[in-house]
Amino acid sequence: MAGGGGGGDGEPEFQIAPMIDVLLVLLVFFVMITSAEVLKVDKKLTLPVSPNAKERDKDMAKHEFAVNLRWDKDTNKGVLVIDDDIKQNWDDVLPFLQEKKKADKKLRVVVRADGNVPAGEIQRIMNFIGMAGIDDISFAASNK
Amino acid sequence: MKKHSSRKVRSAEVNLGFQIAPMIDVVFVILLYFMVMAGDAQVEKFNYAQLPGGPPEPGIIKGFQDEVVIRIEDDGQVLLNGDLLDSPESRSLPELAGNLEQLKQSNLATSKPLMVTIDASELGKYQRVMDVLDTLSLANITNITFQANDF
Repeated sequence: MAGGGGGGDGEPEFQIAPMIDVLLVLLVFFVMITSAEVLKVDKKLTLPVSPNAKERDKDMAKHEFAVNLRWDKDTNKGVLVIDDDIKQNWDDVLPFLQEKKKADKKLRVVVRADGNVPAGEIQRIMNFIGMAGIDDISFAASNK
Repeated sequence: MKKHSSRKVRSAEVNLGFQIAPMIDVVFVILLYFMVMAGDAQVEKFNYAQLPGGPPEPGIIKGFQDEVVIRIEDDGQVLLNGDLLDSPESRSLPELAGNLEQLKQSNLATSKPLMVTIDASELGKYQRVMDVLDTLSLANITNITFQANDF
């Protein structure tokens, strides 16, 4: 065993390879935790802050479907974005949500809306969600 | 003279080998960067609610719940059953939190679940609705619904 602590005399050698292994593992860990959450959020909207909101319900994660609502400051209206597709006509969302509900009875709609969006726009989208027969809803927020 | 030049070439070849020290330096810098960024990372959290019309939760007897209405005005003013609470600038809504806690305790004594309806003005900001939802989450009130408007 080469370099395995020497033959008893002298100082044990400093092993560089295990140190690099540990460093790389730490690096990968921190890269993962800093980028994991960012990937899920629409960069064009600023989520409202709610420090006391709950953590994601992991059991329901596969039943979740996100509806993004950006804020158009020129018109002070919401811009509805579903699956990276801007919906010009909000009425088109109703059959889409009905299909989703038909496919998944436990469907939960996650409303990811910009904090500056008027509450009326949130009520509008909730109206469509309710009309589609979906009663389970959650509001995404940022911790800070 | 000939010997000297061959030694020079040999030492140059040795220096071209893989240098571990600068690599460790770079890895340390990247590691530090991500460690600092990890502390500042924004985490997505959720406030849950039920829309009207859904099936009742187990244990909830419909028609016997105490209903509390929280009104949010355009300017962010919050009213609990018509009573003004907190200033429109207050984000933590301490008066609302205190009142909700009292209501919750009195409902616990009568074993009636507390039902909260949020009635937000159309021009009020969503952030204000989220402030109220945050206060409800802090008080651990889960029966939340929204006042429906015609569109």
